[in-house]
Amino acid sequence: MNETRAPGGAHHHDDEALLADLGRILDLVDPPPPGLVERVQFALELEDLDVEVARWERPDHLVGVRSSVDQGTITFTVSDLTVMINLTRTGRCHRIDGWLVPAGEHGVEIRVAEHGSVSTVADEGGRFVLDEVPRGNTQIVISVAGFGHRTVVTPAVVL
Amino acid sequence: MTEAQTAEADPPWEGLHGPELFEACLLAARAGNRLAMNRLVRELTPLVWNVARGHGLDNHTAEDVVQTVWLALFSHLDRLREPKALAGWLVTTARNESQRANGRKPAPVPLTDEMAEAVVSTQPAPEAEALRTERDRRIWAAFGKLPQRCQEILRLTVLAGRAEYRAVAEVLRMPRGSIGPVRGRCLKTMRDLLDIEGGSA
Repeated sequence: MNETRAPGGAHHHDDEALLADLGRILDLVDPPPPGLVERVQFALELEDLDVEVARWERPDHLVGVRSSVDQGTITFTVSDLTVMINLTRTGRCHRIDGWLVPAGEHGVEIRVAEHGSVSTVADEGGRFVLDEVPRGNTQIVISVAGFGHRTVVTPAVVL
Repeated sequence: MTEAQTAEADPPWEGLHGPELFEACLLAARAGNRLAMNRLVRELTPLVWNVARGHGLDNHTAEDVVQTVWLALFSHLDRLREPKALAGWLVTTARNESQRANGRKPAPVPLTDEMAEAVVSTQPAPEAEALRTERDRRIWAAFGKLPQRCQEILRLTVLAGRAEYRAVAEVLRMPRGSIGPVRGRCLKTMRDLLDIEGGSA
């Protein structure tokens, strides 16, 4: 196709103009999601930031689903530790059934934005239950048993 | 009055912009100032976000990468010896995390002159509501067909062209007003895609 004959001549942009358009379009269609900055800031409110961050393992069929979760099982992993939680709605709150692998009496703290935190200790099988956990931006903090100061945290997610 | 209290009343980064702002915030964050940390997160999350999205990650994986990068920074602040290196550290760490998250996906298509063909797009479909003109929709569609490497480079180029992200330009050695060979090729490919699409419009 001969560019100089393109109708209206609108098909060729110089680099700067194209980059300016692209910047405007990226701001419109692909900005950081609403609430992301606040979720990061919430995740950083930990007293001690000497932590390892577990990653949210999404099964392939869930890739692309929204980051807020009503119920079901969520898995986080970091190096040798796996954190699985199952959510059950109980009115305006939910119950969190958790399982830590490898098993051990790990400390578990669940922080919910603007609702403080609730804590428990997993049993020797690595299981824990927390009832009536408020919903909202949530971060799980695990104090790994048997280590002096090993702390694993999850990203803040909307539960 | 302690340093910390003074800082809260009148933050030392007040009135600063760009790299000077980041440096002042980073120094304050090292001293434990949470307001400084929050300010850095607010200013620089778009940078980390664009690196993750530029690697073709879906929104939620990209969000995990953003959180992981920030937690990694503040849990190891002592590792970043030179405050001026912050933007570069964020870009590098975001790239590493994105590649890790991308682990099971095929490697990005290398940039060739013939790449215009059939690169599977991981970008969201052009959103009719947000993009009001046909031209904007064509630009977004063409961008989505670029190889991931080009998408990331052009996203960073866009940011580096903005005053508040001057530090990005320095880190990536992208002097303002100059387009290097790789970016030039990416832009040319994008214009070719626009011409192809425009031809049938």
